[in-house]
Formats: sequence, structure tokens, C-alpha cells
Amino acid sequence: MSEHDLNYTELGFKAGLEIHQQLDTHKLFCNCLSELVNSEPEFEIKRKLHAIAGETGDIDIAVRFEAGKDREFTYQGYSQNTCLVELDESPPEMINLEALKITLQVALLLNCEVFPVTQIMRKTVIDGSNTSGFQRTVLIARNGFVETKHGRVGIDTVALEEDAARIVENDKDKNKVVYRLDRLGIPLIEIATAPDIKNPEQIKGVALHIGDILRACRVKRGIGTIRQDINISVKGHPRIEIKGFQEPRMMVVTAEKEIQRQLANIKNKKLDKEVRKANPDGTTSFLRPMPGAARMYPETDLPLLNISRDLINGIKANLPKLRSDIKEELKGHGLNDEMINLIVSENKLDELKELIQINSDSNLIAKMLVLWPKEISIKEKISLDEINKKLTLDVLETILQALNNKKIQKHDIQNILLDIVKSKSVSEAIKLEKQSNEELEKLENEIKRVIKEKPGLNINAYMGLIMAKFKGKVSGKEVIEMLGRYVKG
Amino acid sequence: MVINIKKVTPGTEVELHTKKGDFNCVILESPTPEIILVKLKSGYNIGIKEEDILDLKVIKKKEEKENERGKGKKEKKKINNDLPNVVLIATGGTISSRLDYKTGGVKWLTNPQELLKVYQELLKICNISKIEVPFMKASENMATEDWNKLSEVAAKYLNDSKVDGIIITHGTDFLAYSAAALGFSLKNLNKPVVLTYSQRSSDRASSDARLNLVCAARVAVSDIAEVMLVGHGNTNDEFCYALRGNKVRKMHTSRRDTFRPINSKPIAKVYPDKLEIISEYRKRNNNKVELKNKFSDKVALVKFYPGQNPEILEHYQAKGYRGIVIEMSGLGHVLTGESKNNWLPKLRKVIREGMIVCAASQTLYGRLDPWVYSVGRELQATGIIYLEDMLPETALVKLSWVLANVKPISQDKVKEAMLTNIAGEFNSRLTEEEFLN
Repeated sequence: MSEHDLNYTELGFKAGLEIHQQLDTHKLFCNCLSELVNSEPEFEIKRKLHAIAGETGDIDIAVRFEAGKDREFTYQGYSQNTCLVELDESPPEMINLEALKITLQVALLLNCEVFPVTQIMRKTVIDGSNTSGFQRTVLIARNGFVETKHGRVGIDTVALEEDAARIVENDKDKNKVVYRLDRLGIPLIEIATAPDIKNPEQIKGVALHIGDILRACRVKRGIGTIRQDINISVKGHPRIEIKGFQEPRMMVVTAEKEIQRQLANIKNKKLDKEVRKANPDGTTSFLRPMPGAARMYPETDLPLLNISRDLINGIKANLPKLRSDIKEELKGHGLNDEMINLIVSENKLDELKELIQINSDSNLIAKMLVLWPKEISIKEKISLDEINKKLTLDVLETILQALNNKKIQKHDIQNILLDIVKSKSVSEAIKLEKQSNEELEKLENEIKRVIKEKPGLNINAYMGLIMAKFKGKVSGKEVIEMLGRYVKG
Repeated sequence: MVINIKKVTPGTEVELHTKKGDFNCVILESPTPEIILVKLKSGYNIGIKEEDILDLKVIKKKEEKENERGKGKKEKKKINNDLPNVVLIATGGTISSRLDYKTGGVKWLTNPQELLKVYQELLKICNISKIEVPFMKASENMATEDWNKLSEVAAKYLNDSKVDGIIITHGTDFLAYSAAALGFSLKNLNKPVVLTYSQRSSDRASSDARLNLVCAARVAVSDIAEVMLVGHGNTNDEFCYALRGNKVRKMHTSRRDTFRPINSKPIAKVYPDKLEIISEYRKRNNNKVELKNKFSDKVALVKFYPGQNPEILEHYQAKGYRGIVIEMSGLGHVLTGESKNNWLPKLRKVIREGMIVCAASQTLYGRLDPWVYSVGRELQATGIIYLEDMLPETALVKLSWVLANVKPISQDKVKEAMLTNIAGEFNSRLTEEEFLN
């Protein structure tokens, strides 16, 4: 039987998605920057973790599994993104309100009910990825849904949690595990769908749909900022969690392979609840036993979290638009599809809206925001990041004002941007462009005058006359170009 | 049917019908009266406003799981005859507390045996032959009578030939005070008395209690007969320092290496499997410990600040206080000169009338010296006892002890006792490496 002939309904196929997305704010329980660093660490510390009983007095099966290993962990840190909170040397500070607001936006866009009172929890994790031995997490909302072309899929829960430290070295022979603390504490939204997904293709569809909602809010972009897990089972097999998808398109292949594995397990009566890792080839490998509820206990250092009606209403009134809606809106501004896609993918919508207030030429603004910076990047071999740092909203505003005041012309703007990228100040760049415009105007007038005075000369003769007068002020090339417009051959 | 939810025992599994939907959950004790705190099946806790609850149905009564935690169950003591015997005295503090899952708050361990269950490694170094709990207190709630009690229990076991050392677990905030008190009250000390702590409660996988306890055990079986504080040497879970009990101070609100030696070197660097001696110490011996555990509570510690009115001295005098330690400026000054708040006349008056006034330095590090400036000489002439390099907290405890133990009491006798090095509270040679370490 080929994979594509599987009848998912008959198999009792059930799947749910768990999506983890980093938010674009400072860390969740301290004021450290949320950014990953790849330079040499500034300091290292060494810690050990040990198994502890959970709330019920039992040691969670997943916790026991990790504790059996008894390892020492090395943590790398940097002063800008690691403080005493990440080092487990200071209690957490109050939850990052911005991160909470973004989570509420997402929860409302997912049609969820928000809990008015909730408690920040500690989820025991002792693989070393959290210096404290637990991950702080708080349930924010439940009972939402998304509509997909395969039908409605429920959203069970939306939680806000802190990201874990990232592993940079795992040398099993030397019993050495090294984590980097830059990622620990970055706000992470966790969205868990109900097990309503009926076939592998729908998994991808739901992932993309939720991804669209997330990108409408202030979330981080790029590799590693979103992580998807799938919970999957066929009739007669316990739930299996598969972690670590980077790309939605791999979900379909992996889910199909997992069905085959589970069917084989049922035949061999090997039925364990477990967490598995998604491999790049679509197969999966064992990671750890499935953790239970025994690993959750309250974060006693923080008060209950109240989410007021006012806060929710304020967010409801200003919900961001989805990409699909934004695209429609941009079409209304007269932008073509290519430009719209660029604006959306570069996340420049806010800037575009701001700049349209100054000058209504949306195509020009789109070019300033996304097209020309890209061209400059390729031509001058400067990173887009660096270019964007120089071409700030203020800079672009100043340029548009200069255009409105007729100090410069539309076709000057690309040059002005280039000058600014090459470290000229905005006013300098505009002035230069204006000066050269004035010079060229003078040149053009002079050419017209000379031709009128001495008609019929050949181009070289005119060239000589003009150059004698404008020596040093304009280039020969410019003169030839302009003469070309008035003199033939 | 309306059931009063407040009457449902925490730990009961219920089905809750509320205005915000239905929940299958376990009722927890709530820190806020109008909020019902519940645990959902996923393990998450959420709060429900009492007014939103429509109905509830009990599914399962609270399970008694205490047995699994060791309460009521007599565990057979495994005594390894090859190992030394150590008595553990638990007094409270974070190290003796764990999260109470019913309330979500932190409570005392109902049975200190639990600590040993978590930290089995300890039992590879020594037998814990006895666990004593004279009281369970947060250290900020301790007073002179607790120093008295603690010393008494310690002395009893130090004079027991079957006991090789003592570990005392204690809250961090005022641990140094108790350590200083034990140093004065246990005369002719014969065995190690090790105080230890944790900054992260023992229900956390990252608790510093694990390394602290193992290293404390290592020191408790050593031949160092001193009152010591054993705790993290730095932020790593790597080694601890054994610090002199009366030359140590809590210097950080939350770090695990909060205790630092002041005007002193550690006695030893302690790893789970070895001990490296750093400075001189009193050796284990066969003395009988003499218990001198009286402390006076008529002593005060006053921190001088710029412009302070000296009438504070008369206030304490009027309330019957017999001694005051003043935390003075660097070398040992307070306000003098033309100011209306000149301290000199009031100091002369209260000392003349019998008050003992001692000086310690606000800088903590370094030695007082009243001879450098003329102000110091004038202050010295009033009869203030300048306590060299002694920590202000140690000075308070010592003054409390001296006033209760020197008989017959006189200002000269008290001064002599205050300036005698009884338990290593003075260091006559301050060296380079003893600053900010």
C-alpha cells in the first residue's frame, strides 16, 4: 500500500499542532535584550540539576529520565543578554507586559477565551536547558478556533512561556553539555490546537494559517524563531509528539512516515507515549518519554496574573490585520502584487502607512522602503540590515519632505539613498543632489545659449567651448550626454 | 444546589460550572480570598472569580499522599559503622522549606528527613545519626532566646562522644548573627559546628542546598573545631567555602554565593570529594564544651547617618538598654563640632551614666582607627570602645553575650572582654586578599 493511498478516516488519524513563536520584545521575566549572539561568550558558569518530586510527591517520568543522566552543565553568557535572572541567581521580575499584550492579540485573533486570572507556573525541565530546572509558563486563553479549507480546527490553549537556553555543544563521550543563555527567557507564545486535524495535508494548512496570524503581530522572524511540534496518533496507538520542524512542508512527509511507524508498532505491540525528534529526511527518532502533569508547579516568586477586561478591550479595539487583509488593503493603494509581497515579507507595512501620510505616491514609497535598499545592498555589497539601520523612518520622511518642497526631484531619490548608505548625512545628501541639479540646469542653459549663438558646429567643437567654461565643475561624460540631446552625431 | 466552594477541601477534584465555561480541575488553596485557584488537567493553575461559579460537583476527594513523603512512615535508619556520625539541627529558613502545593506558598518541611531523601549524597560522607528541630523559624524571627536554645542543643551533642560533628541548617538573612552567637556561647569548642543554608528552596532542581549540604558534611567530619558557615564559593555548583562564623556577612539578596568573608580568609575550600585548607584553624580535640549561652536583649545596633540627632542615645538609655554598637563612618567618626547635633556631649553623658558604647565601621572592610583625626581622639576620650576590624553584627552579638556573662559587671570588665579575641572575631593582620572576595 503506498503512503498516498492511506484512508485517514479509517485509520482513526488524529493530529494536533503545537506552535512556539518567539515574540519581538525584551525577555519575559527580566529586562535583558532578546537577541542571539554568535561571538565568543563573555563568561561561563557550571551547574548541576537534580530530580525533585512534583506537586503530587511523584517524580515525573520525563524528569526521572533526565535526572538519571546526572550531568554537569556549562552555561555561556553575555552581559547584554544575560543577567542574574537567567543565571538563577535572582527571582524573576514582573512579567513583560508587552509580551503579554502580544499574546492577547494572538489569542483574540485565534478566537480564544482569555482567563481573567491565571498563575505563572514552573514546568520542570532538567535536561539543563533551563538553569533553574524549570521553564516558566502561563496559560492565557483557551477554546479558540481557526477556519481552514479542510474545516474548522479548535485551538485548545494559548500560553506564554520563556524560551530555553540553546545547546551549543553536547559531547556525550566527555559528558559535557554546553548551553548558551542568550535565548533563555525570550518570550515564546505556545499555541496548541485540538486534535481536530484529519490528514497530513491539513497539518501544513493549519500551520500556515496560524503562522499568518502570528506574523500580523510583533513576533521575531527568521530561522529558529518559530518551532512546530505535532501530536499524532492512529487508532490503537498512544499519542506521539514530534518536535523540531523548521519547515511546514516537511510535516506532511513526516506525518505519513509516522503513521507507518505507528501501524508497525501496533502490530508489534510496542505502544509507548513518547516525544520524538523530526529528522531532516522525514523520519523521527526517540527523544524522551512524554511528560505528565506532575511536572507543573506554581512560580511562588510571583503573584497571580490578573488580565483585566480593560486590557482585553483595549487590545480588541486595535487588533492587527492579517497578511491576507493587508494585501487587499495595499491593492487599494494601487500597488502591484510584487511590491505588496515585498512590503509584507519585509514587514514594512507600518512604515509605508506612515510615509503615505507625507506623500501619497505609494509606489515611490514602496520602492524607497524595499526595492532600492535591496538594489543598493546587491550593488554595493552592504548587508540589508546595515542599510535599514541608516535608512530610518526619519530619514525617509526628510527625503519625502524635500521632494514635496521641490528641493529635489523624484529621480534623485535613489542617489540620495545611496549617498546616505555611504555615510553622508541626510541634509548633505539632499544638498548635494540639489547642487548638482542646479549645476546641471546651468549647464543645460549654457549649452542652449552656445548652440543658439553658434549654430551648426559639430559636437566636439561644442564640447570644447562648454568644457572651457565649466572646467572642473561638471564631468565630460555629463556634458557629452547633455549635448547629445541637442546636437546630432 | 449551591455548594459553598470555600468549604471544599483543597486537593479535591471537582467539575466546575462557571460563567466562563466548565472545568474539570482540582481545587487549590488560594492566596486571594475572592479568587478560587484550581489546577487543570494539563497541570496549569488558573483563577476563577468566586462570583463566576455556578455549580460544582465533587469527583474525587483529596488523596492522602503524606506517606509517600515520609510522614508517619518510620524509615529504618541505615547506619554505616565506617562513617562518622553527624547531628543535623534544622532551624528553618529556605533550606528547611518546600513548596506547599495546596497553598502555592512555601512552608516548612514537615519532616526534615525529606531533606535527606532529596540529598542522598550526603549519606555517603556521614551518618545523620539524629535530626533535631529546636524550632522552625525564618531567621528574621529569631531572637536572643533562639541563640540560647540553639547553643544548648549544639552543646549537648558536642559533648556526646558518639557524635563527630554538627550541621545546622538556617535561614540566610540573620545566619551570621547565630553563627557569631554560637562562637561565643560554646566555650572550649571540640568539634566542627557547621551552619549552612540555601537561597533556592530544596523543591527546585537547581537548589544550592545540594552542594551546600554535601560540603557541610565534608566539613562536619573534618578536624576543624570551629563554628563555620559553609556555602557556595562562587556562582558555580563546584565548591564551597568554610567561613569563620563571626567574620562573615550576607552580601547579596539572592545569589547562592551571598556569604563573603570580611576581614578574613576562608578556613577551607570544600569540594564534594575533598577539602583544601586555606588558613589556620582550631583543631578537633577532646575538651568538654562549656555552655555559656546567656544573651542580653538590652543591646542595640545604631547606624549613624549624616546630620543624625544624638538623642537616639538617650532614647535607648531611657528604655533601659545597657549597650549600643554604633556603626560609625570609615575610621570611626560621628557628627561633632559646632553643629547643634554634636554627638560628643550626649556620648559623654550616657557613658558616664553607665551605658556601654562600642564602635564598628560602616565600611565593613578594614580596621577602625580613632588616632588618625583629632575628631577620633575626642570621641575615643568619651569612653567609646573601638572594636578594631570586628563586623557590626558580630559586635552586637558579642556585646549581648558579654553583658550577660561578665560578672561582676563594670565598664572596665566589659571593655576588656569586648577587646579580647574570644572566638576569632578579631584579625590582627589584614592582608591584600581579604578585600572584596
